[in-house]
Amino acid sequence: MSLISRLLAPKATAHAHCDLPCGVYDPEQARIEAESCYRIIQKLSTSEDAAFRTRAIAIKERQADLVKHHLDTLWHDYFKPEHLEAVPNLHQLFWDAAKQVSKVKASSSLEDAQKLLDLINEVDAAWKATGGPSKTRVAGRPG
Amino acid sequence: MKTGLRRVWRAASGPGSGPGRPEPLAARLRGPWRVAVAEASMTPSIEAGDWLLVDPTIARWPRRGAVVVFREPGSDVLAIKRVAGRPGDVVPFAGSYLQLAEDEAWLLSDATDEDVAALGFGGVVDSRRYGPVPVSALVGRVWFRYAPLARIGRIPQGPATRT
Repeated sequence: MSLISRLLAPKATAHAHCDLPCGVYDPEQARIEAESCYRIIQKLSTSEDAAFRTRAIAIKERQADLVKHHLDTLWHDYFKPEHLEAVPNLHQLFWDAAKQVSKVKASSSLEDAQKLLDLINEVDAAWKATGGPSKTRVAGRPG
Repeated sequence: MKTGLRRVWRAASGPGSGPGRPEPLAARLRGPWRVAVAEASMTPSIEAGDWLLVDPTIARWPRRGAVVVFREPGSDVLAIKRVAGRPGDVVPFAGSYLQLAEDEAWLLSDATDEDVAALGFGGVVDSRRYGPVPVSALVGRVWFRYAPLARIGRIPQGPATRT
């Protein structure tokens, strides 16, 4: 840089701020939260203690919200229109999964939680079918 | 000049900085007087890489349409946006309306999410994300672009875009 431009260059930087997506996406995040819901529902059936049950339900609702958040992020940010070729039922799948999360939030049935895990398996398959592991993880999925 | 003097007087005799209050004049004089722009949310009026002159002596939100530098709520990094709503204004937000307090402004990007997506970014970040900005976060008003050479000139006080 020349002397003049070095003298003129501002020292401060003002950010015309936009999001910079990190580009890391993995349905495993949603799955872990959904498994939390599954386990909490299992524990719910083992206790009659009102305080325990209230707490467990609150935690289940919080984890279910996280499932929804992670699914939404995959749907909005990872999947692109061109992925519909490889996964034609993509929108239906995410809609079903989101609705299933709502069900798990309100329900204490293991069957509902299992159905959510099954749907997340399908999302996982869609992620793999569109090259997710190599495109979005730093060194693929560990293990 | 008269209003300028009054401004100096008000700033020098004011109760000093605090929540919702502007920085005292002495602190503001330290600048920055010039900033370089990073990122793309003010495209096309201001591009990443532009060098701008800033007037840091102002202690109140300038009029709607002015471009300002401020400390972004939450992160405190220097940011640049356009004033879309002044203190007391009612601004549309989240399908409803929001009334700004007496020391708050509503600051928006010029670019749309689609504009910045085309440049590889993930959406603009402005008052719609972090809410109204208090006058204590104001750093200065942007008034002139001095580089690049091809686009030297005053920064137009555009109409506030898309409130």
